[in-house]
Amino acid sequence: MIGPRQTRGPRRARLRGGVERSGPAVGSRRQATNVECAREQDIVDAIASGRWPRACDPSLEAHAAACEICRDVVTVAVALREDEFIARHEVSAARLPSAGLVWWRATIRARAEATRVAERPLTVAQGIAGACAVGLACGLAGVAWQSVQRFQRVGEMIAGLDASTLQLASASAVILQRALPLVLGLGACLLIAPLAIYFVLSDD
Amino acid sequence: MRDMTFSEIERLGAAVGEAGEAFSMDEDTFRVFYERTARPVWAYLSRMTGDARLADDLLQETYYRFLRAGSTHENDAHRRNYLFRIATNLVHDHRRKPRADRVELTEGIDAIDTRVDVNVAERTARRLDLARAMERLKPRERDMLWLAYANGSSHQEIADALGLKRASIKLLLFRARKRLANLLREPGT
Repeated sequence: MIGPRQTRGPRRARLRGGVERSGPAVGSRRQATNVECAREQDIVDAIASGRWPRACDPSLEAHAAACEICRDVVTVAVALREDEFIARHEVSAARLPSAGLVWWRATIRARAEATRVAERPLTVAQGIAGACAVGLACGLAGVAWQSVQRFQRVGEMIAGLDASTLQLASASAVILQRALPLVLGLGACLLIAPLAIYFVLSDD
Repeated sequence: MRDMTFSEIERLGAAVGEAGEAFSMDEDTFRVFYERTARPVWAYLSRMTGDARLADDLLQETYYRFLRAGSTHENDAHRRNYLFRIATNLVHDHRRKPRADRVELTEGIDAIDTRVDVNVAERTARRLDLARAMERLKPRERDMLWLAYANGSSHQEIADALGLKRASIKLLLFRARKRLANLLREPGT
């Protein structure tokens, strides 16, 4: 009968199928976890310094041919180094902005952002003030309208009085009729003035 | 966007000095740092996005965010890692955008003209192969491989730039390298 320990080993190895080993392995555990080679960095350095493959240690080249990890390192590092060289060449064709320009743009943007942040409470306050003004104007207009209606009722009562007081009633009615446009005008001013002030201030 | 008036430009010019005070370094230090890092950062952004024009914009954005971060750095290497981390985040943000806004990694590469120098043609072909292979990798694998082999970053630097644990870099890099190497050897797979 096969015990659990015996079955687990190969299964683990299958699960870690992508992990390769390099150089002589001591045990199965080392085989599974060895994902780098001791000479890997030497190869990377040789490629980075342009010594690879002709000007580097011949033993290093021989090792890279035999070691699977180092073979991958060579394939990838050579391709990426060459691409990086091309990218640097591209950027040297007057593409890169100067340090001064980058600094200047950054400072302008920082300043604009600081101004925007500083102005935010002011804008909120202006909005609240505008809303309050509109509300107040509406309230005043309502009060004015109620008082106009009250004056009309007073006029009607006066009109219903006897003849001796008729002259007074007619005089009062005339006064009320003349006062009505004045009251309406006052209400309109109260409504428009805060709005006008708000829009003038918000333009600044 | 409306044009700026002279007075606005003057005001902004005067404000430059004030705004500069809010940055994490002074202008002279920035100039030195920029001269040393701009090319590799641009190359990284260009290859990771596949769009040279976008790389220009992201370069400006990277340095702006770096300056505004206001964080202190132990040394130049740390500062450089932080810069690459910002660049990586910007590239990731760009990748999250809808595909219509993005270009493929192979898009910027000119078609091979066999009449030109054979070396140039071969080099362009290799670049195209690399771009196609990189396109098939996960974004993180691309970032990691570029930093490790094009940029020459150490495992610690890669971990700092990508926000990963140093201990996991070795295995992740091994897997990514294996995939890319296979794709480069057999482009059809």
